[in-house]
Amino acid sequence: MSDTVNITINGQVVHARIGQSVLQAAQSAGIDVPTLCDHPHLRATGSCRVCLVEIEKQRMLQPACTFPVTEGMVVRTETDKVVEARKFSLQMLFSERNHYCMFCASSGTPETSECELQKLAYRYGLDCFQYPPAWQKEWPVDASRKSFTMDHSRCILCRRCIRACDEIAANHTLGVFQRGAKTMICADDSVTFGQSTCVECGTCLQACPTGALMDKRSSFVGHASECRTVRVTCVGCAVACGLKAMVRGNTVLRLDGDWDEHNAGLLCVKGRFESLRRPENRITKPMIRRDGELVEVGWDEAITYTAGKFKEAQSTAGMISPRFTNETMIAMGAFLNEVLHSDQVTLLHGLVPPLDLEPRAQLKDLEDATCIVVVGEDVLQGQKVLGYLTKRAYDRQASVVVVDDHDTAMDDYATERLHLDAMSRHGPSPFAALKFTYHLSLDGISRLRKILETSERPVVMYGPALSTLVYAALRSLPPHVKFLPLATGSNACGAAQYGIEMREVIADALFVMAGDEPSNGFVLPPASFTVVQAVGHSELTKKADVVLPGRLWTEKRGTIVNIEGRERPVVELTEAPEGIGPDWMPLAMMAAVLGRPGLFATMAQVQNSL
Amino acid sequence: MAAKVKVASDWLAGCAGCHMSLLDMDERILKLLEVAELRSTPITDLKHPDAGGVDVGILEGCVNNSANEAVCRQMRSRCKVLIALGDCAVFGGVPTMRNACSSAAALQRAYVETESTVNGSIPQHAEIAVMQDARAIDQVVQVDVNIPGCPPSADAIFYVLTELAAGRKPVLKGKLLDWH
Repeated sequence: MSDTVNITINGQVVHARIGQSVLQAAQSAGIDVPTLCDHPHLRATGSCRVCLVEIEKQRMLQPACTFPVTEGMVVRTETDKVVEARKFSLQMLFSERNHYCMFCASSGTPETSECELQKLAYRYGLDCFQYPPAWQKEWPVDASRKSFTMDHSRCILCRRCIRACDEIAANHTLGVFQRGAKTMICADDSVTFGQSTCVECGTCLQACPTGALMDKRSSFVGHASECRTVRVTCVGCAVACGLKAMVRGNTVLRLDGDWDEHNAGLLCVKGRFESLRRPENRITKPMIRRDGELVEVGWDEAITYTAGKFKEAQSTAGMISPRFTNETMIAMGAFLNEVLHSDQVTLLHGLVPPLDLEPRAQLKDLEDATCIVVVGEDVLQGQKVLGYLTKRAYDRQASVVVVDDHDTAMDDYATERLHLDAMSRHGPSPFAALKFTYHLSLDGISRLRKILETSERPVVMYGPALSTLVYAALRSLPPHVKFLPLATGSNACGAAQYGIEMREVIADALFVMAGDEPSNGFVLPPASFTVVQAVGHSELTKKADVVLPGRLWTEKRGTIVNIEGRERPVVELTEAPEGIGPDWMPLAMMAAVLGRPGLFATMAQVQNSL
Repeated sequence: MAAKVKVASDWLAGCAGCHMSLLDMDERILKLLEVAELRSTPITDLKHPDAGGVDVGILEGCVNNSANEAVCRQMRSRCKVLIALGDCAVFGGVPTMRNACSSAAALQRAYVETESTVNGSIPQHAEIAVMQDARAIDQVVQVDVNIPGCPPSADAIFYVLTELAAGRKPVLKGKLLDWH
C-alpha cells in the first residue's frame, strides 16, 4: 500500500503510515518513548525535548513527536546518548523553577505519583538537582479562579494548557508572555485568570502534567491510587457528558472528563466543578408540617399520612425535575396513572423539541461538520460542551449559522445570523419557558435551505419552542443534514420517552420531586396539599405540607437519555445517608399503602436488572 | 576481617525525621554495625566527627544559617564520602519555602510583627547564628551520595551504607529512589 512505510525502531520492524510521527509509529507498535509535552488529544509541539531519539543519518537527536516517518528510517530510542540527553533536558527543566516535590500535592512514589515530570525523574534515576534551582525569583501562585489554582513554580512550559484551551475548549484564553527564562503562561493580555475570558471548563487542568494547575477540592486529600475511579455521567444538562470520578471512601474528590466517551474529555464548569457542591441544608428525615412548623417523623407515619391525603384528594398531579433517571420517571408515571388514576404528570422544567427529525447527529459529527446551525438556543449557556464544539468548528473555518431572536454568546463565532421572531402563545401558562413560540420567516427558511444544500456535512441543532412551521421546514431539509435536539432539561429526553413533558397541571394534591435541583425559583401551582421530595431545604420546602428526603446525583443508580438518543449510566459514587432510599421508594411505599404493593416489586426488579 | 567503615552523622536545618528513618532499619542495624562503626551522631554520646577524619559523613537537613554552614564544612573536611540524607539535604526541602521572602523580612515578622509580640526585637549576639537563605548541601560543599526522600526509606539508607561499607558506589533506583 502506498501510504505505509516500513521503519525500524530498536531493531524491530514497524509498519507506519505516511503522516505519522516517529512517536506515533512507536506507540502503535507498543514501544514506549517517554514524553512530557505530548498528549494523545493535542497536536504535537516538541517543546520539552524529552522524546529525543537517535535517527540514522540525522545530524542531531530528533524529537520523536514531531519528526515524520519516512521509508527505511532507523530509530533507536534508548541509547546512552539519548538517555544522557533526556537526563539533561530533565535537569534543565528542574533548574528553571522551584520544582520542590516535597510540598506538592501531585508528588508521589514511583507508583502513585501524579506528576509526569517526577515520574520521569524516577525513571531516569535522578537523585538530586544537578543545577541549583532559581529560587531567587519568586514564581507567583494565581488562585483567582474559583475551583483551581496555577502555581507557576511547577510549570514546565509544555504548553499543554494553551493547546487544550485552543484545540479542545476553543476558548483561546491562554498564551505565554515574556521571553527566555522569564517566560510565563498568561491569560488574555496578562490579567489574572479570574479576571480573564477563562470559562473554567478545566480542560487545561486535566491536561497539565505537573502540579502547576491544581484542583482545589482534591488537593492533598488523596492520591488517585487511594481512590476508586468510577465512570459515570454528568446530569447537569442533556449532553450527559462522560465523567471519571475519583472517589475516596464516601467522598467524590474530583471529576475528570472521560476521553473515551462522546464528549472526548471535554466538560464545562457546571459538570466538572459545580456538580460537586453540597447542599447547605440537607434533609435527612421525612417531615410533616404541624401548626405551621415542619416536624421530623418516621417513614411509616409520613407515607401513611401522605397516601391518605392523596386518596381523599379530588384531583392529583405529579411534578418531577428533569434530573431524575428513567427509572424514577417510570415510577412517577406509574404511580400517578395506575395508583391515583391521574394523567397529570409534568416536568418541573425542561423542554424537549420534537425528536423525530432524522438522521440524529452524534457529538462526533460536530467534529467534522462543514456547517453547524444553532436554532433558538444559546448553547454556550445551556449546553456548553456543544458550544465549545461549535467554536472548534468555527476555528477550522466551518460555517456557523446562529438563528435566534436575541443576542447569544455564539454570535461572535457565527459566520451568519438569521432572525427569529418571538410570538406570544395564546392562553395563560405557569411556565415562563412556554410563553413564546419562535418563528423563522419564509425568507429565513429558504436562506437556511440554500446554505445547507450546498454544505457537505451540516448539523442543525434546534431548540424547543420553535413554531410548527419551522420544525416542518427542518424536517423537509435534504437527507444529508443531521439533527441534534437541544433539550433544556438533563433527562428531559428520557422523560419524553415515557410521555412526561412540561405541561400545566391543576390539582388538589401535588407530589413534587425536586431532587437535587440546584436552584430555587420554581412556582408551584396552588394546591391544598403539597408534598416536596428534595435533597436540601429551599423555597419549595418552606411551603410544603410534607417534606421527604432524597438522593444527590452521586448517590443514584439508573439511566438517562441524552440529546444523541444515547442511554447513559448514572452510577452511585457514594452512599446516601441512612434512611434515604432510592428516589422512587416513597412512590412505591405509597402504592403499597394504597393497595398496589406490586409496584414496589416491579421497581426493585427494574433496579436490580441495571 | 576488613576494618569497619567509620561513619559520622549530623543534622542541620532538618526535623530529625531522616535519623528516625535510619533507626527504622530496626534489627538490621546490628548487621550494619558488623561492617560499620557509628563514631558520632546527634543521638549518641559523641556529637562531632573525629578530628582525624571518618570514612563516611552523613548530613540531614539543609544549610540555612552560619552555624549550619560551619558544621557542614567541618563534616566535609573530615570525611571521604559525604552523604546528603533526605529531601532537605538533597534539594533544600521545606525550609526553602522561606526563601520567597527575604531573611530580613522573615526575622522581622517572627520577632517583631507577630500579633502576640510586644516590643519585639531581632536578637543579635556573637553566639547566635546569622540567618541565610535555605539551600541544599551541594550548594555549599561537594556531595558524593544523595539519598532523597522525606524521609528516605530505611531500606534506602541501609542499602547505601552497606554498599559503601563493601567498597561499592550505591545507585538508588526503583523502590529505593522515592522522594515522595
